[in-house]
Amino acid sequence: MEEKKNIILSVKDLVVKFKVRDRVLTAIRNISLDFEEGKVVAIVGESGSGKSVFTKTFTGMLETNGEVTQGEIWFEGEDLLKFKKDEEWMKIRGKKIATVFQDPMTSLNPVRTIGYQISEVIIKHQGKSKEEAKAEAIKLMERVGIYDAARRYDEYPFMYSGGMRQRIVIAIALACRPKILICDEPTTALDVTIQAQIIHLIKELSNEYGFTTIYITHDLGVVANVADVVAVMYAGQIIEYGKVEEVFYEPRHPYTWGLLSSLPQLGEKGHELYAIHGTPPSLFEEIKGDAFAPRSDYAMRIDFEEEPPIFKITDTHYAKTWLLDPRAPKVEPPETIRNLHEKMVAITAKGGIYGER
Amino acid sequence: MKKYVLGRVFRAIIAVFVVTSIAILMVYTMIPRDNVFREDTGQMSKLSGDPDALSDFKNNKWEQLGYLDFVRQSEMCQSSSDYNACMLIEEEPYVDEYGQDMVEYHYSDVAQEVIDKYTADGYTVSYYVEGGFYATRDFSGLEIIVNFYKNFIYIDHPWKVEDPDNPDMERSIYFATDYNGVPALKCSGCEHNYLIYFDGSFPFIHQNILNLNFGSSYPTYQNSSTLDVINQNQGSLVSEERTLPNGSTGKTSENYHTCVYKQTSALDSRDQNKFPDNYANCKSYYKDPSMVSISYLFGIISLVLAYLIAIPAGVSMARNKGKIQDKIGTVYINVMISLPSLAFIYFMKMLGFSFGLPDKFPIYSFGDIRSYILPIVILALMSTASVMIWIRRYMVDQSNADYVKFAKAKGLSQKEIFRKHILKNAIIPIVNGIPSSIILCISGSVITESVFAVPGMGKMLPDAIKSFNNNMVITLTFIFTGLSIFSILIGDLLMTVVDPRIQLTAKGGND
Repeated sequence: MEEKKNIILSVKDLVVKFKVRDRVLTAIRNISLDFEEGKVVAIVGESGSGKSVFTKTFTGMLETNGEVTQGEIWFEGEDLLKFKKDEEWMKIRGKKIATVFQDPMTSLNPVRTIGYQISEVIIKHQGKSKEEAKAEAIKLMERVGIYDAARRYDEYPFMYSGGMRQRIVIAIALACRPKILICDEPTTALDVTIQAQIIHLIKELSNEYGFTTIYITHDLGVVANVADVVAVMYAGQIIEYGKVEEVFYEPRHPYTWGLLSSLPQLGEKGHELYAIHGTPPSLFEEIKGDAFAPRSDYAMRIDFEEEPPIFKITDTHYAKTWLLDPRAPKVEPPETIRNLHEKMVAITAKGGIYGER
Repeated sequence: MKKYVLGRVFRAIIAVFVVTSIAILMVYTMIPRDNVFREDTGQMSKLSGDPDALSDFKNNKWEQLGYLDFVRQSEMCQSSSDYNACMLIEEEPYVDEYGQDMVEYHYSDVAQEVIDKYTADGYTVSYYVEGGFYATRDFSGLEIIVNFYKNFIYIDHPWKVEDPDNPDMERSIYFATDYNGVPALKCSGCEHNYLIYFDGSFPFIHQNILNLNFGSSYPTYQNSSTLDVINQNQGSLVSEERTLPNGSTGKTSENYHTCVYKQTSALDSRDQNKFPDNYANCKSYYKDPSMVSISYLFGIISLVLAYLIAIPAGVSMARNKGKIQDKIGTVYINVMISLPSLAFIYFMKMLGFSFGLPDKFPIYSFGDIRSYILPIVILALMSTASVMIWIRRYMVDQSNADYVKFAKAKGLSQKEIFRKHILKNAIIPIVNGIPSSIILCISGSVITESVFAVPGMGKMLPDAIKSFNNNMVITLTFIFTGLSIFSILIGDLLMTVVDPRIQLTAKGGND
């Protein structure tokens, strides 16, 4: 992780805590991660693993009861966590780092026109006049695939379908040519064909506009299709990190094995789908050892006693499990995910993306 | 949308009439009819020594008010075979057992026939103490309502006036300039001289073609129609130098736009001097605004004030949820809601009085701003609490919406998000309630107007009920009901303006 590449955003030892009814919950536990410029990074993990919270710290959008208690986030030579006031954040938020949220149905203000909501950002961040903003907004709308954009400029969100609204949300996010686009489960609320279109659109735009994309998703199909780099999160930590091929075809962490085994695409007719047993640990209590140990079929005694360090597998592939310690017994990943590549190729040979069935 | 609105208007009108009919029925059948004379003490004491005159007066009045059909002996005898025989009353003196001289009255057979006929028709025939008879028949509830609406709509047209002394009267509607040189639609042969005219008083354009007739006011404000009582200006007459209808100028208080036809036989030489035609019966200019205008004035100013206070207060409570502003606001709302309004009014009155503000409106009356302060402030404050509570609630609701999160991610400041996004959403349900609040301010000012003796429409309602002024009660019921129903409609229409998602359709949401 110490390599000298073009690092656009660097997170160092981040800890985020929430106050929930007088109890303190630790949502992010000492994450360090570098984001390379122009790459597509996918953050995967189950619900509650801290994916969204992690990315929200980049734009200072934590809920009011949340707090970054430790760490640094370096972006363009500034530590974002030094920001105290909203005004400072506003130089970054929307302008340099934009976010696309999960539900396009509710992301737009229902009583403002589409045009207003796009040009508002252009006026605000680029200081353009109303007319210039309108012209640019229409251009953007056309770019994200809205037909007859000039006419639809004055329409309201309720007149748009879900997929079109997500296109508008993307247009708004891109209105200021951000350096980083965070896509917080951008396709979860959409149906499968629209998902593919939206993912394709984001991919295209990222090449065209040259921004770094951070995907938050629990759809591994999406990950395999678009990501360059995958970070697997569990209980507020990144437990495996690497290029998409590495994580998919040579996963090292038992949790990643579990996740991949759960892919519905790998299910066989007549057999029950695989599921990781148990539930994630409570984040209210201090976690001792490996957070995944109680649910892992490969847990060793040390997993319950001491937190594993991050082991380097290749220059780009890291995992946080004691199994990589030289003293650990040699274990093989479960049968289901061996030769995953061949299986996936076989599935996708029918056409479509991984996410489709 | 158009169809929907028309449908709503139609149903609203029906609803107003249903409510008014119920009011008519209640007022006319459930309140003892003798009560209407209770406040007319002058007439009552004058007639107390003469039972026949008293019963004549009462029956006349009841007939006029629409309680019953009153038929005098002369009218009854019109239908008989021999009018003179029917009218004949034979007096037979006798001495009763106490030694008093008494008279017994005998009626002819023809009269007896007529009496029998009327009795058979459902009339009650009564006899005067001094001789003679008359018949009365109480109207049924349905008849009362039908009779009320029979003359309800008044339309003026060129064949309205019947004047046997002026047979060659021209009957036409024509454009002309009025005595000020302003264009107007005039009429010859109509009841009113001016059908449509402009002047400097709100709403600047006036018409006399179509009017509603609610009957006349009794026992208070006698001899004028109830609408005139609440619509006409009050107070002392205003005399000004004006152009008279005959072209000369003179000092007068008459409003020539309001002149109605005066029968030729009733014209006196002064009228003939002043007016070129028969339209010589004019209303006057009065100094003070009418009851309706006063109520609207108070209602609208206080409402604007209420919203000016409540919206920023509610917004600030929402923006600082859980902080000191929110807590103070919550205390205020709680106090305002839990305190009985009468207690609040008297408390404010005392407070104001200690600052030198008058505790009754007529002390300084219309010309002085001090008269208005207390009633308006009280009316305004009384409606702030509910507006505040709702605006806060809607704002807080909306602040948790996804589009707010996204607006923040877009890089908008908290202030911009509140102003440009949340407020517009939170205001939608508030806008819906604004017209009803106006109505509430007007009809709800009943207590405030009474406490401060403001001569407005709100005070008129309890006054009319107390004095058994039936027609006035019905008029006010009609007005308040109409205003309420239409204000709800206007509220719904306003909502379509602020919320593009809402469209009113007659198809019941299926399209």
